[in-house]
Amino acid sequence: MDDHVPVGMTPSTISVVGDAWILHVPRFGDEGMHYHTYGLLTPYFKGLAEGRLLATRCTNPACPISKGHGQLWLPPRADCPDCHQPMQWDDIKNPRGYIYAYTYVERGGTGLEIPCPYYQIDVRIEGVCTIVKSYLDGSGPIRIGDTVGARFRTGSAATHTCLDLYWTLE
Amino acid sequence: MIEFGSGNLRIPRWTRPVYLVAAGTTDFRKRYPEKKLEELCMMAFRMLLEDNDLKCDPLEVKGLLNFACYGEFADHFQDQLLCEAKVHDYLGLDPLPNVGIKTGGATGGSAMLMAATTVASGMSDCTLALGWERMDEVHTWTGNYYIATAACKDFETRLARNYASYYAPMARRFQEMYGVDERVRAAIAVKNRGYARSSPFSQQPGRHTIEEVLNGKIVSDPLRFLECCAMSVGSACALVCSEDLAYRLTDRPARLYIAGGSHTLRTGDRRPMRIPLLPHETEEGYAWLYDEMARRDGRWPGFESFGATRVAAYLAYHMAGISVPIEDLDLVETHDAFTISDLQTYGDVGLTLYGHEQEYVTSGDCYLHNPRTGTPGRCPANLSGGLLGTMHAVGATGIFQCGEVLWQLQEKYDAFHGNPALWARYGKRKPADWESLQVKNARRGLAISHAGVGSHVTCAVLEKAW
Repeated sequence: MDDHVPVGMTPSTISVVGDAWILHVPRFGDEGMHYHTYGLLTPYFKGLAEGRLLATRCTNPACPISKGHGQLWLPPRADCPDCHQPMQWDDIKNPRGYIYAYTYVERGGTGLEIPCPYYQIDVRIEGVCTIVKSYLDGSGPIRIGDTVGARFRTGSAATHTCLDLYWTLE
Repeated sequence: MIEFGSGNLRIPRWTRPVYLVAAGTTDFRKRYPEKKLEELCMMAFRMLLEDNDLKCDPLEVKGLLNFACYGEFADHFQDQLLCEAKVHDYLGLDPLPNVGIKTGGATGGSAMLMAATTVASGMSDCTLALGWERMDEVHTWTGNYYIATAACKDFETRLARNYASYYAPMARRFQEMYGVDERVRAAIAVKNRGYARSSPFSQQPGRHTIEEVLNGKIVSDPLRFLECCAMSVGSACALVCSEDLAYRLTDRPARLYIAGGSHTLRTGDRRPMRIPLLPHETEEGYAWLYDEMARRDGRWPGFESFGATRVAAYLAYHMAGISVPIEDLDLVETHDAFTISDLQTYGDVGLTLYGHEQEYVTSGDCYLHNPRTGTPGRCPANLSGGLLGTMHAVGATGIFQCGEVLWQLQEKYDAFHGNPALWARYGKRKPADWESLQVKNARRGLAISHAGVGSHVTCAVLEKAW
């Protein structure tokens, strides 16, 4: 997948402990490094870097809400908040959705990696019970209801952060 | 949680009544280099002890304290953990017990909630709730980033690093869903910043016009600069007491009821659920809204409303015996960090039905003087000037709101806002066209303290108790 959006950050250093990715966040040189784990959500960030959108669903028949046939969660969660049992990972094939809400960000806070101005969008995807916040590659104008498709920053361009998922109008 | 279990919505049953008797505050400024943080807290504490007509000398009142609840939103603005210890020491309250409370923008309200429970439980007869924020040690846009760390670090913070950009999509969706005219949001900014002109404590008073708001620079579409509160420095406090003590200290105490609610940190994670109904609402009354939501892929609370506010109001109204909010309440303080959060809240607290928030504002009921009829508004909002006009020194905000409601019930608005000496205390001159915003014969007031995009909310009801 092409990488359209230039973001103001170099790919983050990642270390691996077991199955978990540990994101290195520099603050004050080597001794001031912060180490932030993605824990059981690591498959999501690995997936983005491979051009795949992964989400989780509850498949526990005893769950009072999902009854074993839950909708997808995006952002994913490792454990179901309704029955507290581990959830299952699923690929969202050819991810598409529509703009549920949006804003045109004209000024971000210090350290913002996305070049301003840009559209921050909340995307509603069929079969997903949540609405995922992300950003748009494109200058618009846009409207609630516009259809969008997922794009990814992959391979050596991946930042290993949520910025690796973005969307374009379809 | 999208379905409640049988025990979830139990109405709190305090073991004894709780009262609010006095409040204190500093003025609020974008930058306050003249004073250290603990010196600002002392200013507020001194006002509480000395300026509330208490029937005991200040040091006698201090001698009655059992407990302190401290509110501070963010340690990282000052790089100082355990500010509570420094403030407690500076106020001369060691070795009494104290706790620090943190629930984002609702920190002040949560400090009030915890203070109330110390008295309700018998842990304390006399508890100080005191909050503060010092946001001036960093550049404004670094401060905006720091505040945006109250969005989800993994999935949201990098998408703006500016909190207005998490409210702006709610404003956009609310506008689309309910056909809101942007002039209504702008009118809220004009009203609250206008009320701030009567307050010596206010940071951003101004006589603005709707056109000026809408023609102003945009922070995050559709929110303009004048629709967003500013970062503040300052402190506020309140004295929470048992019944016996309340009447020993003042002839004009207010009964305090307060409860809280919560919802997900990420707005988009709020799965659709049924609306918990307030005493005056019915399922039939919302049939149209469910139909409309089904038609437009809407959901409750979605991006339009705050489930945490609704639950907090549900609990507090049952505690306080509020059955029809617009009739039972005489004034409110909402958490107008942004114009849209003020607008959204009127449905959540039941001053109007969901979907009718715009009409509620244009009806004029939320003004001291209804601009349409010239008669008193039924339930004026944010006479303090609110967050937009007066302050959002975050840890202090929910406490400041309760103090302003208390002074309204005590008919002390003029004493705390109209005294030229008080203006002079903060290096200001009382405006020649100063206007009293005292609500006549107010019996009950409401204060909403609100965090994140609605992650934590407290709802306080104060009731005249004399």
